[in-house]
Amino acid sequence: MSSPAASLAIDAREVAKTFRSGWFRPRTTEALRGVTLEVPRGAIVGLLGPNGAGKTTFLSILATLLIPDRGSARVLGLDVVRDSLALRRRLNMASGRPSFLWSLRVAEIVAFYGRLYGLSGSVLRARVDRLIEEYELTPYRRVPYSELSTGLKQRVALAKSLVNDPELLFLDEPTLGLDPDVSVRVRAHIAALRRERGMTIVLTTHYMREAEELCDDVAFIKAGRILDAGTPDELKRRIGLGDVIALRLEPTAPAWLATAAGVLRCTTNDGWTECTVDEAEKRLPDLLGRLQAEGVTVRNVRVREPELEEVFVELAR
Amino acid sequence: MSWRADALAVWAVVVRNALMASRNVFFFFELLFWPIVGVLSIGLMTRFLGLTPAQTSFVLIGTIALSVVNVCQLEVAYAVLMDVWAKSIKHQFLAPIGIRHLTIGSWLVGMVRGVALFTLLAVLAWWAFGFRVFAAGGGPVAVFLIGCFLNAWIVGVFVCALITLFGNRAEAFAWASVNLVLVLAGIYYPVSVLPPPAAAIARAIPLTYFLDAYRAHFGFTSEFAAPIATGLGLSVVYAALAHLAFYSCVQRARRTGLLLKMSE
Repeated sequence: MSSPAASLAIDAREVAKTFRSGWFRPRTTEALRGVTLEVPRGAIVGLLGPNGAGKTTFLSILATLLIPDRGSARVLGLDVVRDSLALRRRLNMASGRPSFLWSLRVAEIVAFYGRLYGLSGSVLRARVDRLIEEYELTPYRRVPYSELSTGLKQRVALAKSLVNDPELLFLDEPTLGLDPDVSVRVRAHIAALRRERGMTIVLTTHYMREAEELCDDVAFIKAGRILDAGTPDELKRRIGLGDVIALRLEPTAPAWLATAAGVLRCTTNDGWTECTVDEAEKRLPDLLGRLQAEGVTVRNVRVREPELEEVFVELAR
Repeated sequence: MSWRADALAVWAVVVRNALMASRNVFFFFELLFWPIVGVLSIGLMTRFLGLTPAQTSFVLIGTIALSVVNVCQLEVAYAVLMDVWAKSIKHQFLAPIGIRHLTIGSWLVGMVRGVALFTLLAVLAWWAFGFRVFAAGGGPVAVFLIGCFLNAWIVGVFVCALITLFGNRAEAFAWASVNLVLVLAGIYYPVSVLPPPAAAIARAIPLTYFLDAYRAHFGFTSEFAAPIATGLGLSVVYAALAHLAFYSCVQRARRTGLLLKMSE
């Protein structure tokens, strides 16, 4: 994730943040310990990491809701501390546990934030109508927020986050607690935002499938540090997880299989022998040829790449 | 920020507060129930004690002032309090607006509610106890109301500052603070009856001067040389201090993370 400064939506350098709490017995928590991240304009970047890793803290600093203790962060070319007011016009945020004023109706919530971003009259009405339609909220536009389901609240949060047509959108666990079918639709909306509007999106998520499906780049944060960053494929290669060749063999898997060239490890489970190899494309022909030569029957073969989840587990360890 | 964007941001807060006010039973109690109970109970007490019409007017002016300042000040505090209750405060501080938009928008709604309440209590005080608030004329009433609203803005903004400094724990200030101010400002009595240290504090409260100026129209000798000018002068100073305090507390909340904690 290294690009010329002008084409960067986010250029964060050594950002650090420590929280202090308690008046009489002060406690400190180092949330970020020098995070450096570059996000190109128009990219979708995922911040992954275990609970308490610092993902939301970092996102909040970039969104001007928090002031960093050290380091610098330029977002859309503006400093997050000095130019915060100008920056707020151009970005927005939605979180996975949305909350809005309980008595306001769906359309009123979107309109309220629209006015805060300087919209009025027919422009405001058209924007509110469009977002309500896009997020399939038309039947609920006059329903008070407190009466909405979790999924609908999430969609209201997404509609609100687009009311100013932001250049940069922060999504903090956007599909948290949603039904699978709603999650699929939300992910489709997120992908469409980049495709149709060229929006830069930074999201935090616990769902690896979501990150793999949506993100051009991912960054793993743990204990306030970025452990690794890159495209999902780059990370898989860099971590050295390799590809998995699963074989159904008769009569049994020969002992040499575990020590064959390029094989990193071999396990047997439920009749399948799973060999993790450095590169499946390169090793598969050799393995099949040798098995055939030794009279071992290959009943079935499956090849799969490691999933991002495995990278996550490896890095979070 | 252009004046149009300023006006729109203020208008957004006006619409929000007005919608919230129109849909909550709690607001009905604030606007009608407690103020009416206050004027009736205090008015009946003056009758029981056999106070003269002038003394009754003195006490009822204080009661009406308490209700008007209280309603308007609470509305100003709602600039952040409602979002703290809803855990949505980060969204309004994520928007490109200043704290002035929040407080002025809430204050405008508070003034509308304050004028409505004042009118209602004026009618009630005239009907039940023969006290005519407009006996002094429109000008003194307008100055009195301006004084009440300025004090409400100051107290409300200080409450906003305390909430963004201490979080939900400071909520009690929203209800308690105005009562303390009014006790010191001479709600039912002239400040001359206060013990000297308390009287000194009373002289630093702008509302003391507005109450004094209004009561002077009902036959009471003014305790101060230029009460309206002094009240206005002090109001300007406190308004600036309150705004600065709120701004500093918001910046501190951005540093400490309280802004996020109040949204979780």
